[in-house]
Amino acid sequence: MNRAVYILLLVAGLGACATTSIPESALRLPESTLDIRSIQTRTMQASSEIVILSAAIAVLQDMEFNIDRIEKPLGVITASKVNDADSKSEKTNLIFLDILCAMGGGGGCDATSTASDEQQITLTMVVLPRLAHAGEYSVRITIQRVIFDKMDRAKVLERIDDAGTYQTIFDNLRKSLFLQEGDT
Amino acid sequence: MSRFQQLTALASLILLGGCASTIPANVAGAGTQLEMRQIQTRQYDTLDKAMTMRSVIATLQDLGFTIDQADAELGTITATRLHDYTMRMTVTVLQRDASQISVRANARIGENAVTDAATYQDFFVVLDKAMFLTLQNVD
Repeated sequence: MNRAVYILLLVAGLGACATTSIPESALRLPESTLDIRSIQTRTMQASSEIVILSAAIAVLQDMEFNIDRIEKPLGVITASKVNDADSKSEKTNLIFLDILCAMGGGGGCDATSTASDEQQITLTMVVLPRLAHAGEYSVRITIQRVIFDKMDRAKVLERIDDAGTYQTIFDNLRKSLFLQEGDT
Repeated sequence: MSRFQQLTALASLILLGGCASTIPANVAGAGTQLEMRQIQTRQYDTLDKAMTMRSVIATLQDLGFTIDQADAELGTITATRLHDYTMRMTVTVLQRDASQISVRANARIGENAVTDAATYQDFFVVLDKAMFLTLQNVD
């Protein structure tokens, strides 16, 4: 064994002891903050805080969420649900990969176990009275999800940034608010 | 085996041994109590605890967190961000004296506590702006 290999081993030993570093920009605002904020926020009119909070809870139930926590003085509602993340096209591709792997004579062909199985969606809705406009409320929604594969391993961790998803929820909330106001 | 080879082999063994220690529970954490408190805490010249908490929630949402739980009475907010990594933060808002509110934040990324001052400084830069806007009644 030559000198270079010994030095490589020594460096590898030092590397093994290194701890994971904290990403430098972990708590810095990304440039897209304003765009994301506008996608996630709407202003709505309601006769009282109770009416809009009740409408918000009802719409979350409509969307099959469970309410995890509510902190009324801060207008915070946290809800979650677990649903199916099974995708036929993804599964087909992975089966094809496994077949190719087996034909190539490779062992341990198990790409299908990495197929998406279910996803856990967490949603926070913050409903606050607008300070300068009586009777108006600012509603901001943030959504994240974890997708698990067939072996129950977390495969994707992400925030949902799709504007259409938020728009659908706000449309539903407006309908729910209309119904709620009718009940009171 | 030359003397150099013997020395590097010995150093490698010591390094491997260092990594293979039994895993401590590390319940108390690794930071110095007073030092960490200073890094993680800011004082604000306001007595409006509710407004301060709203600013903290808005800041966390801007930073991509969802709120796991919030308690207005105890002034505690816990939030999670799912990204390439999982980051969890707990922020406490306490009335410190007759004129100031104290905000303390602590964060973890995965299995590591965030201990560097710069990361907390970044958080408080964002919170400072949110506090200013909230106290100016801008929403």
